[in-house]
Amino acid sequence: MKRVWTLLAVFAATSVVVFPAFASGGHDEHGEGPKDKASESSEFILHHVADDTEFEFELPFVHLPAIHIAEFFGKEPGQGLFIEREPGACSKPVEKSQEAFGSIFKFMNGCWDLRPTKAVLSMWIAMALLGFVLFLGRKRDQNGVPQGTFANIVEALLLFVRDEIAVANIGKEEGPKYTPYLASVFFFVMTVNYLGLIPGFFTATGVLGVTIALSVVTFVMTQLAGLRSAGPVGYVAHLFGDVPVWMKPLMFLVEFLGLFTKPFALLVRLFANMLAGHMVLFFILSLIFVVNIAAAVVSVPLATGLYMLELFVALLQAYIFTLLTALFIGQGVALGHHHHADDHAPH
Amino acid sequence: MNSLVLASSFTDVKPGLIIWTWITFIVVMLVLRKVAWGPLLRSVEAREKNIVSAIDSAKRERAEAEKLLGEQKSAIAQARQEAADQVRKTQAELEKFREELMGKARKEADDLKAEARRTIDEERLKAIADIKGEAVKLSLQIAEKLIAEKLDDSRHQAMAQQFAVDLSKKTPNA
Repeated sequence: MKRVWTLLAVFAATSVVVFPAFASGGHDEHGEGPKDKASESSEFILHHVADDTEFEFELPFVHLPAIHIAEFFGKEPGQGLFIEREPGACSKPVEKSQEAFGSIFKFMNGCWDLRPTKAVLSMWIAMALLGFVLFLGRKRDQNGVPQGTFANIVEALLLFVRDEIAVANIGKEEGPKYTPYLASVFFFVMTVNYLGLIPGFFTATGVLGVTIALSVVTFVMTQLAGLRSAGPVGYVAHLFGDVPVWMKPLMFLVEFLGLFTKPFALLVRLFANMLAGHMVLFFILSLIFVVNIAAAVVSVPLATGLYMLELFVALLQAYIFTLLTALFIGQGVALGHHHHADDHAPH
Repeated sequence: MNSLVLASSFTDVKPGLIIWTWITFIVVMLVLRKVAWGPLLRSVEAREKNIVSAIDSAKRERAEAEKLLGEQKSAIAQARQEAADQVRKTQAELEKFREELMGKARKEADDLKAEARRTIDEERLKAIADIKGEAVKLSLQIAEKLIAEKLDDSRHQAMAQQFAVDLSKKTPNA
């Protein structure tokens, strides 16, 4: 019986997200005339997964006003964090060829739109949730044994990060030093991922900017670990590898590229996984409106199954992101030990 | 127009978003390190240390208890051995004492018997000698009365003597 209720809850939850979009059919349309259902659905889906300056909490039958999060920090170009270094840079549209990365080109042209967006707001909500869960999980007895569900979950995950991610990849000595950072990455990504799975909320990790920022932090941490462990000389030396002199320039090219491809793979993996899961979920459900209402027989169970998969993927991607971060840090740390072993240095 | 703009919207990278993500993440990391992970990891480490030391001390105490038990066992065995030895020794002593006592008693008895026999012999010999003297005296008186003064003393004495000797020969094993 409990399982049936859980399933019903999931159905209800999915419908909460999907229903307003397709049923209320275009509150926000700006009178462009009738559209076909297919393009309307895809527009809604893309709107839902893309970062925006406003946040709409979608509910069936109820149309809540959008939270114009960015407007709190500056309504017009030139106000607050909406910095316009060149007059008119923000109102001037970017060229067609630059549209895919429009904001970067606008930034380069002098339009520094630094206002928080939907993604930032959902990260904040996620962090508030994480803080709340950690607060609930603060109970321990006098021996330090966690008391209650949240305390046990938090400690199990934290110890998993410490033992299976940090110590396993960085080593017994250096591993615990990086555990707070890795735990932060893990809990941050996991919470943001899970918040995105709550109907009505937004997946910040499905936005390129967020994953870029996270992997830049990882990149910096990785290089710092290498520098700290091997020293500047050892760090530069490893870029040329243990190869004959005539191969050194080629090796440098490979190693230097490798520095960036590793975090790049990291950011694309997280972004693509979080985005694709949500989009597929929506596309399958949109069949109900695009094809026929009878498609619900297939698409609702399928979407429910996918939602379950997404619940797993949210945890898995947080794990993979943290694991690879730990792996790269471990490589950096190993660099130093290798170097020292060769030199018979005192440490 | 909208579709195209929206299609490119998820490849769009907002520099502002990157900066805000950094700010959010770094603040969260610093706060959690101070408020959550630090105390949590410390308490876990303390607990792990406690468990390890508890196991160690349990092992040590167990070994000690086993050692003590062994000592007790050997002490008991030794005491038992000593008691058995003591009993055996006592028994041997008792036996020896008994034999000594018996020997002594037997010897005393033998002595007493020999003494008695000697006394008897002496008494007998004395009695025989007495009887002999008495007999001589009696015979002399008898002879005196019989023969009166007709015979001189020396002859009579000799005859009586001879008579007495013959008499003693006739009673063998006196």
